[in-house]
Amino acid sequence: MPAGSLALLTQGAMVSLLLAAGAIAGGTLLAILLAAMAFSRLAAVRVVYRVYVYIVRGTPLLVLALILFYAMPALDLRTGPYIAGTLVLIIYTGALFAEVFRGGVLAIPRPQWESARSLGLPPLAMFRKIVVPLVTRYTLPSYVNVCVMTVKASSVLSIISVWELTLAAREIIERTFAVFTILGLAAAFYFVMCFGIDRLGRRLERHLALRGFAGVRA
Amino acid sequence: MSFTRWVAIYGPTYATALVWTAITALAAACGAIVWGCLLLLIRLSGGRWGARAVDGYVQLFRNTPVLLPIYLIYFAFPLIGLPWPAVVCGTLALILQNGAYVSEILRGSVNAIDRVQFDAARSIGLAPWSTFQKIVLPQVLVYSIPALGNQIVLLLKDTSLLSAISITELTMQAKLLTEQTGAAYEAFIVVAVLYLLLVSGTEVAFRVTHRAVRWL
Repeated sequence: MPAGSLALLTQGAMVSLLLAAGAIAGGTLLAILLAAMAFSRLAAVRVVYRVYVYIVRGTPLLVLALILFYAMPALDLRTGPYIAGTLVLIIYTGALFAEVFRGGVLAIPRPQWESARSLGLPPLAMFRKIVVPLVTRYTLPSYVNVCVMTVKASSVLSIISVWELTLAAREIIERTFAVFTILGLAAAFYFVMCFGIDRLGRRLERHLALRGFAGVRA
Repeated sequence: MSFTRWVAIYGPTYATALVWTAITALAAACGAIVWGCLLLLIRLSGGRWGARAVDGYVQLFRNTPVLLPIYLIYFAFPLIGLPWPAVVCGTLALILQNGAYVSEILRGSVNAIDRVQFDAARSIGLAPWSTFQKIVLPQVLVYSIPALGNQIVLLLKDTSLLSAISITELTMQAKLLTEQTGAAYEAFIVVAVLYLLLVSGTEVAFRVTHRAVRWL
């Protein structure tokens, strides 16, 4: 193995993880807002949601990233690749998380809404005591899935010159031609991150499972 | 420059790039479905070790980004004496990656087949291969049409990554035009619209097919 490459790849993996963490945090916040828009009383707001999800899910992440990277300086909003990269990941994961959350809200059984209303719960309490606990449990598997996708998607940012694991690997390969070793190591890093997130998610799922509550995957 | 003029001038360039995107996506989709079926066959009738090998393969590809196999094949094949063109390398990488997902989708549908059918197949003396080909595969493919549609849409979008290994498909074309003309907005908006059309077209095609074969 070329000297120093393990350290470089480890650093790259840290950057990838940071990018993904930022995107997951920002994307989740954006998704909550978007999902609220999906259930708005105003038809225009719901249309905005549909259009947003349609565009983001219908164009490749790389194209979104390049639009932001090339076109934003054209609009005189100069950002470095890291900011642009995190931003595009947030835009992308926001749409995916929003669809997940929307599905979760739709899955809440009707009697839950009716009993909440008959108890006279104010909207905020309804959100805190019913929507959040149920949607968290319903959507956790898909949520974790999107988190794993985000880690993998962050590799696309290497093409817009964000230095992370994939770009680190590519640079070492171009210098040393140690294709198999370096890509194998990079794959191992990604595998550990993605598989780790998946396992953590399953643990959390078991931790949150409510015994005897129908509709919640135990 | 107005969009109409932009499209009038660069329309033909986009058309060529669109053809490359369509060809690679179509070839990779067909390849991935065939490869996924093969992986399913190995999982179902390859014994314990066959199932384990397929499981490892699927886990590996599900937990690593598509760019890695793309780079692996593109950079490594010339080193082992296979100087294939970039398009072939890229398509092959997409097939390997998406085949893993396809085999998982198909595996989910196998459970939807009534167990009795396997007993029936054995009782009329069908060989394992005939059972797979005549009974399992047709039903599994039909059950999987919606999920396969989703996967093919993802694959279609992933063809944009082939621009990283210098294939002049839509994304690469937009990049080149941006560098030539300095007009990033026009170049990429046209490409984004083309992708949206391709994705919507694929979704409609799968929905129509799903409706057409709902005889099960």
